[in-house]
Amino acid sequence: MSARYGMVIDLDRCTGCGACMVACAAENNVPPLPQATPRTGLTPLLVRKVSNGMEGGAQREVFIPIMCMHCEHETPCVSVCPQQAVEVDKATGIVMQMPQRCLGCRYCMTACPYHARYFNWWDPQWPAGMEKSLNPGVAVRMRGVVEKCNLCHARLHAAEEKAAASGRREIDPADYIPACVEACPTAAIRFGNLADGKDPASHEAHSPDAFRLLARLGTEPKIYYKSKEAWVKALAEPGSGPAWEDQHG
Amino acid sequence: MKVTRRDLLLWGTGAAAGLVLTPVPWKLLGDVSIWSQNWPWIPQPTHAPVEVKRSSCTLCPKGCPMRVRLAAGWPVGVAGVPSHPLSRGALCPLGFGAHQLNWHPQRLRTVLHGEKSSSWNEARIAFAKALREGPIAIVDGYPGRAASLVFDSFAQKQGGSYHVVPSPEIRALAPYQALGGVPAVDLGYDLENARTVLSFGAPLLDGWGIPGRFNHLWAERAAGAADPQLRLIQVEDSLSRTAARAWQWAPIRAGAEAALATAMARVLLEEGRVSARVPIPALTLAEAEQQTGLSTDAIRGLARTIVARPPVVAIATDDNPSIAALNVALGAVGTRGGIVRRGKKAKSYPGIDTIGSVRAVLIDSTVPWDFTPSANAEVFRFAAWNGASSRAGGADWLLPAPGFLEELTDVPTPPTSAVETYAVAPSLVKATPEVQSAAQLLCGTDTDLATVEKTIHARCEDLFQARAGTLYGDATMPVAQVVSVEKLEEQLRSGAAWIGEDVSSERLRCELKNWPTAVDSPSSRQETTWGGPALPPLASKLYQESNLREASEWRKA
Amino acid sequence: MASSVLTDSRWIARGALRTAAPRFLLWLAPWAAVLAVGIYAAGLCLYHGLNQTHMDNRFAFGLWIFLDLGIIALGAGAFFTGFLVYILKRVELKPVLNTAVVVGLICYSGAMAILMIDVGQPLRAWFTFWYPNAQSMLTEVTFCISCYLVVLIFEYVPLLLRNRQLRRVPSFLVFEHQLHKLVPVLAAVGALLSFFHQGSLGGLYGVLRGRPFAFREGFLIWPSTFFLFILSAIASGPSFLMLVTAAVEKVTGRRLVSPQLYSRLGFISGVLLAVYVAAKCLDTLLWLNVTSRSVGFAPWQFYSHRPFGTPVLFVEIVILGLLPAFLLTYRRFAMRRGLLLGAAAMACAGVLLNRFVLTIQTLALPTLGFDRFLLYSPSWQEVASFAGVIGYGVIIYSLSYRYLPLFGQAKGNTYVPGN
Repeated sequence: MSARYGMVIDLDRCTGCGACMVACAAENNVPPLPQATPRTGLTPLLVRKVSNGMEGGAQREVFIPIMCMHCEHETPCVSVCPQQAVEVDKATGIVMQMPQRCLGCRYCMTACPYHARYFNWWDPQWPAGMEKSLNPGVAVRMRGVVEKCNLCHARLHAAEEKAAASGRREIDPADYIPACVEACPTAAIRFGNLADGKDPASHEAHSPDAFRLLARLGTEPKIYYKSKEAWVKALAEPGSGPAWEDQHG
Repeated sequence: MKVTRRDLLLWGTGAAAGLVLTPVPWKLLGDVSIWSQNWPWIPQPTHAPVEVKRSSCTLCPKGCPMRVRLAAGWPVGVAGVPSHPLSRGALCPLGFGAHQLNWHPQRLRTVLHGEKSSSWNEARIAFAKALREGPIAIVDGYPGRAASLVFDSFAQKQGGSYHVVPSPEIRALAPYQALGGVPAVDLGYDLENARTVLSFGAPLLDGWGIPGRFNHLWAERAAGAADPQLRLIQVEDSLSRTAARAWQWAPIRAGAEAALATAMARVLLEEGRVSARVPIPALTLAEAEQQTGLSTDAIRGLARTIVARPPVVAIATDDNPSIAALNVALGAVGTRGGIVRRGKKAKSYPGIDTIGSVRAVLIDSTVPWDFTPSANAEVFRFAAWNGASSRAGGADWLLPAPGFLEELTDVPTPPTSAVETYAVAPSLVKATPEVQSAAQLLCGTDTDLATVEKTIHARCEDLFQARAGTLYGDATMPVAQVVSVEKLEEQLRSGAAWIGEDVSSERLRCELKNWPTAVDSPSSRQETTWGGPALPPLASKLYQESNLREASEWRKA
Repeated sequence: MASSVLTDSRWIARGALRTAAPRFLLWLAPWAAVLAVGIYAAGLCLYHGLNQTHMDNRFAFGLWIFLDLGIIALGAGAFFTGFLVYILKRVELKPVLNTAVVVGLICYSGAMAILMIDVGQPLRAWFTFWYPNAQSMLTEVTFCISCYLVVLIFEYVPLLLRNRQLRRVPSFLVFEHQLHKLVPVLAAVGALLSFFHQGSLGGLYGVLRGRPFAFREGFLIWPSTFFLFILSAIASGPSFLMLVTAAVEKVTGRRLVSPQLYSRLGFISGVLLAVYVAAKCLDTLLWLNVTSRSVGFAPWQFYSHRPFGTPVLFVEIVILGLLPAFLLTYRRFAMRRGLLLGAAAMACAGVLLNRFVLTIQTLALPTLGFDRFLLYSPSWQEVASFAGVIGYGVIIYSLSYRYLPLFGQAKGNTYVPGN
């Protein structure tokens, strides 16, 4: 039975600490880029700090982790890639990017409304010796290609191998936990198979407080968000009000 | 046979057409693309089987337990330990990048004397000379370890002095020493039983105490709830992360925490909402309004709110006596849900302001980089990472210390914990020969001192003898069921954690004779407990490659 | 003309009047310098990577894509004039046909060169041919542009072989003659290919479901921008030809084509431009009121950020669209060269503005509810690379003009009335 892996991120729980971002970068062999800026950085998972635009005591803030939404319907990046370097994996629902085939034309980056795709503007470099700390399960990309979150597919692969080694066909869900889910100190990110009615993540996705970003575009993202706050829910659609992402520099 | 131009053309075209039908051009094209996928200057991970071992993060005194993935002996990833009852599997953002710190470009690998390279031999000679010529002060940034015992013993034997740099959380508990006669290191917060937490700027959700502990408590009991079981009220001049997620944010003028605490106590005492026998403070609400920027109604409302759902405890970022006095008034000292005594009688050590006139100062690698001794003494500083500035943290000697998980050490009870804990952090990474810890140097100088290993062994024995508490290792087991001290030590040395019993009911009596004067103190934002001059490289994701954090939140150098 | 040591008169068609070689070199020198700087800038980008540009994760497309689309649109004069001459038999346009081919070749080869630098992995350029994605507009663009470039080369080669010295090689002569017969076929093929890729370039933006500013409904799988791009390209192509021809006449100081040619080209351009403006107005109304609203974007949201306010839309459609259309088609102005050229320039500017708006404004505008409006300005490497293409173009054209019979037949090429 094919799965539809997705997430439900509780924005009332996210404190914006950033542990998930660092864990993601470590798991996926993303190089530290001391020469980058917030617009040229490589952050497959990016937590965005959003303010309600008010001053003084009425000021409110929310932290929104953004990664690839793994859109299911007319996936914007899949249809535009000229050499089929992206595809939706039918068995898992994960939108898989093949950096080895990527030409670096960046058309997919233009197509993605969530800004979830990142380009390798530089060759990946680590200080001398630090390559020894690279995660063996994940290939290192080179400059000139696009990359994005792939729901820690290497961990899924490891879980499948483990299952196969013990003669099972289905993986043990406890063996497949993406790095960001594992890292979150408040368990704000819930991960699971949205196609499985018994999966808690699937249940959360149907909660009345759950919403998806830009749902009206019709791309059917599989990353859900949850909040009880009305102003946060209103951020899901554009032009809702004076909410701004804090920016400096 | 005459070769004509026509022949050439024919043969040429034929050859070209034929070549296309052979694998040659396609193979060449394929090779070009493979080459473009595998440029030799792109680093590759080590392809080796991965094993998982347990240890503890040694970057700060919280000592969060860690699972470390290793390939060919090198750490390739870290994660928390979900079964640990305090950390609940969490690490701070820096912890997740800690395994790369040992290769940071600022990693110190040679002995530096001033600006010049030197050798351990030279350093030892200079240290021995200093010892002969006068008293030595030893400064420790992470007290309570086995290494700390080495420092203390050495200082005592040599007629020198041993000083500690307390973490901000411990500093905030210092006033209770005067009020109740219990050293701050013996105190903790019983957050698990609190229902209202009043934080005066303490970053409870952003690095205060053990990161996982309050984050998890708050997430389970408060996050997103309109009427939460745990009410977090954040008093702070700006909207910090904790303030943004708090149930209530009370924005006051920076530095006016003492005034607010005093005014709230006055309201509670005057309205008879608390039963503690303490004098009523002199500060009027009008004065408090002026200092804090909050209206008198707001102050009254806040005071009533905090006692609406007891137990309540107030948490400060420094040793503000007014906030301690408020806790006494609230009855939050020595009670369930408040400030509790852990029960172990720990020794209280002097701080860094008592370093007198000494011949030399030895600074352990755990001391924050921005600490510079004011004394006119020769400074021997141990550090795993060098600061960017040239005058190496004010040190005459900069000595390369072990980095992340490069030495065996132990993890005493972290600050703010309500129960005693103990763990051993085994060394998972082989240290190169040019690094040496301060404890190793001192044990080398005075061979009669108990080494770190010996002390750890002795502590394991003590734990075993006490037959109390629980061991959280591969399996969870009460110590009483552990068959031998060797088994206990083996478990601890492979990363298990010992958690003591809840003794928060142990009496802690506090007496408040006079209300402290509410002094307008400069805004005391809690410093991070990461004192090093170099951040884990991947922290750049947070402050360089995104707008999530400012670099100044961590960087000290 | 005084003969000097430096002379290339053997290569110049007999009877053709050309400036002295040293002076020609002097003319080429600054353009060569610009080309050299451009090659250096491009080399930097290839060697160091695209961090040499000011493009970033939010502006994945920048100056290069905008200008590439621009010069491809302007170079459409190549296929369209060929189409008009060979398929629609408008033989009065024949004198500019060769210029159109050379301009087309320059525009397309220049665009290809820039594209090779613009991608992160130029060595993988062939992947699009090996693993094509039938759904992607960019696949279509790649195929058609590559094929059309080949067609243009085949259209240029006969011209090249008509050079005085090259003609002397018998096999070249034969080859040229054979090719010449193919030209109508090439023109038809070229027209078809160009039709599709001009459209697909528009389709590139129109299919962007995630960018409501660019997204359009359309006919079957083709969004309206597919057709709008074709229209604007064939409208601006003749205008651009007018400008190039006028520039050549100015620089060389001789009349190369009849004055009626300008008004003819202008009229064609104007009519097409008027059709385009009408289609664009309809499309804009539909897009603002129906398409975008259905995904939650109110029209004002697209134009509430400076400097991309509604004036930009007004300038694009009215000032640089309707106005030149009127000026180019109004009979009274038919012989007023200055006015016609001014209008042609406005038409070209309008097309460039359209490409700019769809590339840069699309990316600058927020998509998520909490995005900010962003700005982008190109780095010197980006500007220099493209300037290099212009230098390259001027050099190629100058060489073609000097050594090849671009205007008129083999003998002499000063315009003779009645020819």
